[in-house]
Amino acid sequence: MATGTRTGRSRFTLIFLLLTSATLITLDARDFEPLQRTEETLSDLISPLRSGADRVFEPVGDAWAGVTGYDELESENEALRQELQKLEGQQILDSDAAIRLESLLDVLGLPYVQDIPNVVGEVVTANVGNFDRYSVQINRGAEDGIRNGMPVVTRGGLIGRIDGDPGRGHSRVTLLTDPSFEVGVLVVGTEDVALASGGGHGEPLMVTKGLEIDTEVAVGDEVVTSGVDRSRYPPGIPIGTVTDIDFDEARLLQLLTVVPSANTDSLSFVTVLLYDPLEDG
Amino acid sequence: MSLTSAYLRSALFLLTALVLHLALFSDLRVLGVAPEVPLAIAVTAGLVGGPERGAIAGFAIGLGIDLYLPTLFGLSALIYTVWGYTVGLLEERIFRSAWWINVLVTAAATAGGLLVYAVLGELLGEVNLYTDRLYTVMGVAAAYNLVLSLPLLGLWHWSWPRLLGEER
Repeated sequence: MATGTRTGRSRFTLIFLLLTSATLITLDARDFEPLQRTEETLSDLISPLRSGADRVFEPVGDAWAGVTGYDELESENEALRQELQKLEGQQILDSDAAIRLESLLDVLGLPYVQDIPNVVGEVVTANVGNFDRYSVQINRGAEDGIRNGMPVVTRGGLIGRIDGDPGRGHSRVTLLTDPSFEVGVLVVGTEDVALASGGGHGEPLMVTKGLEIDTEVAVGDEVVTSGVDRSRYPPGIPIGTVTDIDFDEARLLQLLTVVPSANTDSLSFVTVLLYDPLEDG
Repeated sequence: MSLTSAYLRSALFLLTALVLHLALFSDLRVLGVAPEVPLAIAVTAGLVGGPERGAIAGFAIGLGIDLYLPTLFGLSALIYTVWGYTVGLLEERIFRSAWWINVLVTAAATAGGLLVYAVLGELLGEVNLYTDRLYTVMGVAAAYNLVLSLPLLGLWHWSWPRLLGEER
């Protein structure tokens, strides 16, 4: 009898919890504002505990990353060393390389940030789950002027955009490696506005739409945001470098592989451009 | 120990587990995969406390982790509720488990839970869940949770000693 009552109660509990979960999913899918505010409040309540724990366990996480990522770091160093040697060799052979390097550094010196108000945020969580490799959370939010869709950059260039309505003191950044991430781009020196999309973790971006087959593009060309009318990104933010060119004869388009200029793997600080295309564009 | 005290212990355990997952375990990655502590919490709660407590613990920790995931709010809560309940039911009716069976069940349930999460998430319109990487995630997370299951089972026994004693 007692077991029967317990089974009945546990079934009732299960149904109640399932209905509650399904309701929350539905409301969230419809961007129900009171639910989002509640989420923010709950998250803010846990935030001090989490910050404290972060400080305590940071050395452990760093040590773990050092141990497990040593091989990766070594091969990255090797790749950088080879790249440096190549640059040095090129500089000796061709003095134009020096001029090119200088102009590249000008581009990477964040001139695009100078005119646009911005907020520097610290990455507080890279990702907490195993399915959110394309987002990070930063410690700046609505009270700092951050809004949904604003571009996020580092010294290397664009790394993503603010995803969803930010909390008071925190917000989520979707990285440009996310396969669902799309950005209007321009190959420097051309006029065709094309669409680049994320290629996945550790993979280059792909430009598959908008670049006419007769547009002159070469491997090594720089790619920047187009900033065309109503684009959510201002023009001229570095995206990356063209490393491969393919042709879609059927659609008469060029398909580009673009290696991002900014590293999204080990982000510490990022800059959110407080850019509103309707006001600033 | 009073009922209130047992519930307070459970709440404290869940909150601590959530904070530890966010601040520590999510950084301890092997092949880019972190332990699935919240899922392990739901499964071990079901194994120790039965279907009802498994469902409640799964729901609570699921909502907590949903606050920090880009997927739909409530998705983890839904799956962890079902998982906590199902494992609790299986434990009551089939396993009547030895500790090593509980450990293996936690690992298997972790892999299964992740598969269900990815499939259901994709059906609900989420992206990047059901990918080539899913099976690596399932394998590594299951191995991680295999190790974590023993302390978690012990902590649930600490949370509900009198309640469990009365029921047996």
